[in-house]
Amino acid sequence: MGNIKIRKGEFSTRLELLRAEVAAGFPILTNDYSNEPLDFNRDFIKHPEASFYGQVEGESMRDAGIFDGDLVIIDRAEEPHDGSIVVAWWEDGFTMKYLDLKHRKDGYIELRPANPDFPVFKVDDPTSFKVWGVVIHLIRPFIKP
Amino acid sequence: MYGIIDCDNCYVSCERVFRPDLNGKPVVVLSNNDGCVVARSNEAKALGIKAGTPYFQLAEQFPDDKIAVFSSNYELYGDLTGRVVKLIKQEVPAYFRYSIDECFVYLDGMEQIDLKQWGEALHKKIHQYVGMPVSIGLAPNKTLAKMASHFAKKYQGYRHCCMIDSDEKRIKALQLYPIEDVWGIGRRYAAKLNALGVNTAYDFAQHHEGWVRQTFNNINIVRTWQELNGEDVVPNEELAKKKSICTSRSFNGMINDFATLRTHVSNYAARCAEKLRQQKTVASIVGVFLHTNMFREDLPQYWNFQESRLITPTSSTTPLVSTACEVLKGIYRQGYQYKKAGVIVMGIGPDSPIQQDLFDMNAETIQKMRRLDAVVDRINRLHGSETIVIGSQQYTQKNGKGKADVFANAIKHDHKSKNPTTRWSDIIKLK
Repeated sequence: MGNIKIRKGEFSTRLELLRAEVAAGFPILTNDYSNEPLDFNRDFIKHPEASFYGQVEGESMRDAGIFDGDLVIIDRAEEPHDGSIVVAWWEDGFTMKYLDLKHRKDGYIELRPANPDFPVFKVDDPTSFKVWGVVIHLIRPFIKP
Repeated sequence: MYGIIDCDNCYVSCERVFRPDLNGKPVVVLSNNDGCVVARSNEAKALGIKAGTPYFQLAEQFPDDKIAVFSSNYELYGDLTGRVVKLIKQEVPAYFRYSIDECFVYLDGMEQIDLKQWGEALHKKIHQYVGMPVSIGLAPNKTLAKMASHFAKKYQGYRHCCMIDSDEKRIKALQLYPIEDVWGIGRRYAAKLNALGVNTAYDFAQHHEGWVRQTFNNINIVRTWQELNGEDVVPNEELAKKKSICTSRSFNGMINDFATLRTHVSNYAARCAEKLRQQKTVASIVGVFLHTNMFREDLPQYWNFQESRLITPTSSTTPLVSTACEVLKGIYRQGYQYKKAGVIVMGIGPDSPIQQDLFDMNAETIQKMRRLDAVVDRINRLHGSETIVIGSQQYTQKNGKGKADVFANAIKHDHKSKNPTTRWSDIIKLK
């Protein structure tokens, strides 16, 4: 956060300066589309071709503020880091958890829930496991769309 | 320089995006109506499964092998391949989408960068962003680029990108390449060439141009010969000929009554209209074809195709459906058992400005229809396809709950995957 990212637009002449600052926990974006209305898709979805939607099932990420039924936006172009909330294929389905890479040198990684009632998955067999994408936004509609 | 970017086992790769557990396992995708195998993973090819194998034979032939089977899901394939094309578009001065899974690119002006490295990076990007593996061929013309992409697909050492950029590499490639696999050489010409002792692309390129002209008297074959020899002669317009949208299905069983046929044709026309709107284009010609089961030699046979030109080009469901029904009325003959029908829309152009015809509809009516279509599309997208259909699209056949069956259920697709990228009801569930 607080760093400056230069994002290439559709035309190279339309270079856009996107600066994120933390203000009350929410990034303020300053953009160069001076006269155009704000647009969520344009300003918050950095890689539309790599972005997918998912729906949360269950309470395993409750303490991260992510609840059953929430929508999340997943970006496959983002590199997963230690502590990222990721979507991964685990055994027979998709799961969303914190990615814990601290034990990578010991030959395993962990998928951590944000709820003490749920188990931590220890992954030491890369064949049944794949990080599919990084969760970049959470959407929770308060009225029916 | 030209390039072609070709999705590897496209439909199978699309299915694997949302089923990563199927990587490395045999997977096949079936044709419309679950008739036969149309796409195979490399593992399925290694088992000896041939393209076109009837579905019912699979289980008999491979009882011990676990093969993942999918009905074709063009909605999913269309979305994912569309993402691939958008990524390609950002990287090149010009491109042409040749088919659902192949895209030609023109790389003029990019000679200063290392194109081989660029291709490898593009493969990596597409694979990471969309989950689609691609093979990239780069060469001074389209025929050689196609050939290069086959090498990229076949040999892992190329790291998904093969470039033919010197005479030495060109000749080596030609020598390894069977003549029947050369782009533009059909099966018929390949057989003739084989009979004349031509087995590789190199054998063919070694002949004199005069011999080629005399033997075939066909401009396309001459162009292929010239391109194999390094010239750039296949016109780009040749690529753009497939400018039509077709929706057709083989029926479950056979149909003889007009009302049921009309229902099917209405749905095909509605689907064409939806596709036109998706790509923001309008069509000016509506064609309908129908035919009986050609394999049933014991039954009377009938085939017909006719088209009708619209006075005002449109992408609106109502006029396209009513025109298709009119055409159908003209070609329908009683007393035949029909096996297949389809709607083709042609004369496709950009949505606006529409050339207005005084004798057709006024601007206000068109505006109203556009708004209606937009509302219908939105509702169908939110609540699932076919929540709202126009009258003639309704099937009279009843489903288990006593309600009229919908189009999607009237054809067979027992193994269809979901549509996580185009329907809110199908987005992936995260536990």
